[in-house]
Amino acid sequence: MKEQKYAIEIQNMTKRYGRHRGVSDLSLNVEQGDIFGFLGPNGAGKSTTIRSLLGLIKFQEGSARILGMDVKSRQKDILREIGYMPSEAMFYPSMKVKDVIRLAADMRGMDCSKEAEMLCEHLAVDQNKKIEELSLGNRKKVSIVCAMQHKPRLFIFDEPTSGLDPLMQAEFFRLILEYNKQGATCFLSSHVLSEIKKYCKHAAIIKEGKLLCVDTVENLTRTNAKRIRMIKDGVEEDFVYKGNLNELFAGFAGHDIEDIVIEEPELDEIFMHYYEED
Amino acid sequence: MVLYCHEMKLNFKNLLIWALCVGGICFGCILLYSSLEESMQGIADTFSDMGAMSAALGMDKMSLATLTGYYATEIAMMHGLGGAMFAAILGSSLLSKEEAGHTSEFLNVLPIGRGSIVLWKYLALISNIIVFNLICVGMYLVGFACMGETIEGKEMALYHLAVTMMQIEIGTICFMISSFVKRNLIGAGLGIAIALFAMDMMCRIIPAIEDMKYITPFYYSNASDIFTNGEIDGMMLMIGIVITLASAIVAWVWYRRKDLAS
Repeated sequence: MKEQKYAIEIQNMTKRYGRHRGVSDLSLNVEQGDIFGFLGPNGAGKSTTIRSLLGLIKFQEGSARILGMDVKSRQKDILREIGYMPSEAMFYPSMKVKDVIRLAADMRGMDCSKEAEMLCEHLAVDQNKKIEELSLGNRKKVSIVCAMQHKPRLFIFDEPTSGLDPLMQAEFFRLILEYNKQGATCFLSSHVLSEIKKYCKHAAIIKEGKLLCVDTVENLTRTNAKRIRMIKDGVEEDFVYKGNLNELFAGFAGHDIEDIVIEEPELDEIFMHYYEED
Repeated sequence: MVLYCHEMKLNFKNLLIWALCVGGICFGCILLYSSLEESMQGIADTFSDMGAMSAALGMDKMSLATLTGYYATEIAMMHGLGGAMFAAILGSSLLSKEEAGHTSEFLNVLPIGRGSIVLWKYLALISNIIVFNLICVGMYLVGFACMGETIEGKEMALYHLAVTMMQIEIGTICFMISSFVKRNLIGAGLGIAIALFAMDMMCRIIPAIEDMKYITPFYYSNASDIFTNGEIDGMMLMIGIVITLASAIVAWVWYRRKDLAS
């Protein structure tokens, strides 16, 4: 098969739910081998975009290709190459974990028992429990196994880390990096900036159904805005500062600075930054 | 095929409970007949002379005083209604349960295709209905054997074919509804089954609404008609088959193009 440059190509995708906006005129390319973060607040259209790519919902305008295949006409071929983890990891409550994992493999017509066993071990999944006994975090882990066991070429994760404890989040990203090294592409949505910053190479920001920007994570987060919290002259202050830091510090002269924290702005503040640029 | 086995497994308990309940009740009633037999002649005369009520229950054609008559009126009514309810409950949740239970994002991202999902689930529905009827009929035959009685084989077979077809029709209509919605409409399914049952009784009594017989599958699967005539009304059965096929096709077409809820 001819190697495609892009794992995901979206052109002018528009999805409306009746009168409600889903996403409008969204264009986006994700290169093969990338770990791509899709950032946006709740309701921005992240899940709509992902669900449209997977064929779970049908978009009205535009086109999209995954691994060179049109998502509307070759859905089955595409799904064979994808590992997807939904934000709400739900399975059949009466089934045992191992049966769910095997069901997912059987439906793909594959024997993934070795890989599944390895993943379950890494993620500390108790395979003999019933789904109805599991917490959201544990269901997410099962979902990760189902998404990874067939070693797909493209991973799509919808808010993968919500519900996972920090240890498991780290393990999850370690697994992703490992598959990525073997050539897999990863597309993950999130509203947590820090994980995107830490693991992704490129990222896009979406708000109210429209793509605000696509760039390398470095460029995106290299705003000169800083969030500053301090106690100055006994008064607590909390603000976002944009501009030369030297000037800021110069301004502190003669004041009593009791405590100061300078940090990266929150996602929302980054959004604000991009709005201002619009 | 994997999906078919999965569905059969998930529904197995439900199937067994329904089959044993409906089959068990009817089985009990068959055994009860021996103790009722002596007083039955009197009851039969009374019941056959109740005008509209007798017509509705088929007692104008069959006499309660014979086991066949008792089977075709009393037992068949319970079996038909019980089976219809089972088919309706199963059909009305088979497709929608994925969205209602948030498992649609698990099932529909596996490379099987929505058309196959509908197909395998539908085959599971039909298989469940057939197995349900086989278990029930098996229990009735044991009941007859316990009583040392026999019943007309051909009529019995025809009746159970017709009543199985009736359940498949109701199950398919509910299956079609479940392809439209995002939650389990079990109440609506049961409502449809009971309404169609009532329609059959009413159209036999009230001449003005006689045409309802073309709609309700309970009409062609009426045991007293089949046991009296020795055949199924072919035209009515054909209408039933057409409705069934049409509902199945609509479900297939609709489910393939709908937006799935997460």
